[in-house]
Amino acid sequence: MTTRAVLGRLVGGVASIATLALLRAGSLTSMQTASDDAAVLRLSWSARPERIESCHRLSDTELAARPAHMRMRWECEGQFATYGVTVRTDGRVFVSDTVRGGGLRHDRSMHVFREFALRAGSRRIELELRRIEADTRSDAAESAAVASGSADANRETREAQERRTRRSESLPSLLRIDTTFTVPPRSVVLVTYVVAERRLVLRTP
Amino acid sequence: MRALERPAHRLLRAADAAANRLYGWHLNPIYQTGAIAVALLAVLIATGLYLLLFYRVGAPWASVAHLQADPWLGRWLRSLHRFASDALVVAVALHAWRMFAQARAWGARALAWSSGVILLAVLLASGWTGYVMVWDAFGARLAISGARLFDALPVLSEPMRRIFAGDQPIPGAFFFLNLFLHVALPLGAAAGLWIHLSRLARPTLSPPRALLIVGIGALVALSILAPSPLAGEANMLAVAPHVAVDLFYAFWLPWADALPPWLAWTGAATTLGVALIIPVVTRRPRTGKDAPSVVDDRHCTGCNQCPVDCPWEAITMIPRTDGRTTLVARVDPSRCVSCGICAGSCAPMGVGPAHRAGRDQLEALRLVLGASPPGFSGRVVAICCEHAAPAHLAPLRAAGAHVELLGCAGNLHSSVIELSLRGGAAGVMVFTCPPRDCRGREGPKWLHERLYNDREAELQARVDRQRVAIGVMAAGDLAGTLVAWHDFTRRLAPAPPEPLISVDEDLDALCDPQPLASRVERQ
Repeated sequence: MTTRAVLGRLVGGVASIATLALLRAGSLTSMQTASDDAAVLRLSWSARPERIESCHRLSDTELAARPAHMRMRWECEGQFATYGVTVRTDGRVFVSDTVRGGGLRHDRSMHVFREFALRAGSRRIELELRRIEADTRSDAAESAAVASGSADANRETREAQERRTRRSESLPSLLRIDTTFTVPPRSVVLVTYVVAERRLVLRTP
Repeated sequence: MRALERPAHRLLRAADAAANRLYGWHLNPIYQTGAIAVALLAVLIATGLYLLLFYRVGAPWASVAHLQADPWLGRWLRSLHRFASDALVVAVALHAWRMFAQARAWGARALAWSSGVILLAVLLASGWTGYVMVWDAFGARLAISGARLFDALPVLSEPMRRIFAGDQPIPGAFFFLNLFLHVALPLGAAAGLWIHLSRLARPTLSPPRALLIVGIGALVALSILAPSPLAGEANMLAVAPHVAVDLFYAFWLPWADALPPWLAWTGAATTLGVALIIPVVTRRPRTGKDAPSVVDDRHCTGCNQCPVDCPWEAITMIPRTDGRTTLVARVDPSRCVSCGICAGSCAPMGVGPAHRAGRDQLEALRLVLGASPPGFSGRVVAICCEHAAPAHLAPLRAAGAHVELLGCAGNLHSSVIELSLRGGAAGVMVFTCPPRDCRGREGPKWLHERLYNDREAELQARVDRQRVAIGVMAAGDLAGTLVAWHDFTRRLAPAPPEPLISVDEDLDALCDPQPLASRVERQ
């Protein structure tokens, strides 16, 4: 092997070490993904939207005309509600948008996941989730636990109970948070919906 | 797209030349990228199996931290797994670059190219799942970015990102699914590798042993001396301002985060689409040097040598229809890459690409001999692969060589060497490209076998082997080319030979061990 070739191999060794160093550097590149005082406001919840419906009580004749497995004293038709969500931070509107239930017919739970960049420090957060449609529900269906002593009284009571349960599991027509607090740097402020309490809560680290 | 091939090729040749100077052509890693990728995949599988033993989907980060705390094996094996996966991306990217720059992505090679593109996508996806498994800040970042992109598709009504909202623990099912993908994707890649290599005869799956040992050893040394650190566990309720990102797998991350998801998807789909249509847009007409091989039935003896030698399994033997009892070779043009290896394998010169078969080579040589009477007049002939190192041709001529070019050294019919010597050449040196860089894949190997180990179509025993040599012409190694040349010419110097026959003699008949007339008569 000539001197030139030996020198080439030596340089090759150095180049190999440099290549390994580059490989490691590429594998562990520190990337700045946010500034040091950055924070995030995260809205995240899943909840059933309200059902906007009108109900009417079937007569005995109408009920008898239904197949046995479809006999319900109160028949309700309608749709699931649409909500407007508005987020303001220190008076500045972050988002003003419409959200609705999932699925092609929007009859599934409404899922929300939004993130907004915040600066650390004292911030006023205003969040409002308001049903857009007017409520056309017939209260008659809600309070129709008929105590007439008819043969269908139990069924009717059960139907009313089911409607009340569904209603209690759905979003209220208006949810609001208006609070001022200190956002720590590099933190995520989470706004979520607690189904059991039917309210939005704001969680900070 | 074809306009890009030329600069890509120039850049590749410069890189080859630099690597040849540094490592020599035997160990030039850029020539071996495909085989290196396979070796690295083997390393990944081996180290991955070990790491898998300790991984718990119920406590992903804690289990990796446990491994990281083991200074004897766990820490450096984990680092080796990571660095080998990074090196794999580099090897695959270089491999794709070489294939594109050398116009080796179309025709019969289209399947290899397309499957290679899919394999690269699978590799990147597999790396993605691997980093998510660790569940440190980088893993969480990848998971969230991936979920953001996925949420843009109309697949699930509930946003996947809700998993990472921080209001509840990440479900174990997510890590289980991720682990499943991290195991399943490489298994799928193994099946894809089979498709990738399916059109190749005798695929090269391992780099030279020295390169393999040094390469893997270097990665092991790096893993021991500078292991990859483990960042803290991902916290969904904290913003990590700095994340240690693996650029080989997450080069897309800044764009994906900055762009709207639909634009990121469009960019990814466009990139994939462009990569997949490269075989179409770089396609050449199947004429001239890209014409497929054809068989001259009259000369085919059914010896079965060309199907054996064909590096692309493009030739099969079928029954004849002309009444002769032997089989006859048939070339499938859709699988033929016009490498011309078959031209050198056929003793009776009955197969080869148009104008490059053995008889065409003899004809061309006869014209040269006729144009410079009397024959080569004692000059030494250098028959060079035209792809090897064009920059070396002028110095060779300056050193006294009579240079002839050939599409591939494997094209060369041994009769051409004999005819050159009979035509007055003092010697014949065949310069091949570096064997691992041969566009015909096996040209140098078969040439060596034909000249020195009696492989059909062998150089006849009557030819003095002292007057024949094979050299390697590697870009960037002009000194090596000239040293080989001068060694050969010095060896020849004492006894300049006399021409054995007149160039007007029936050289075809002399070189053909079984003249056509007698074959037809016998059958």
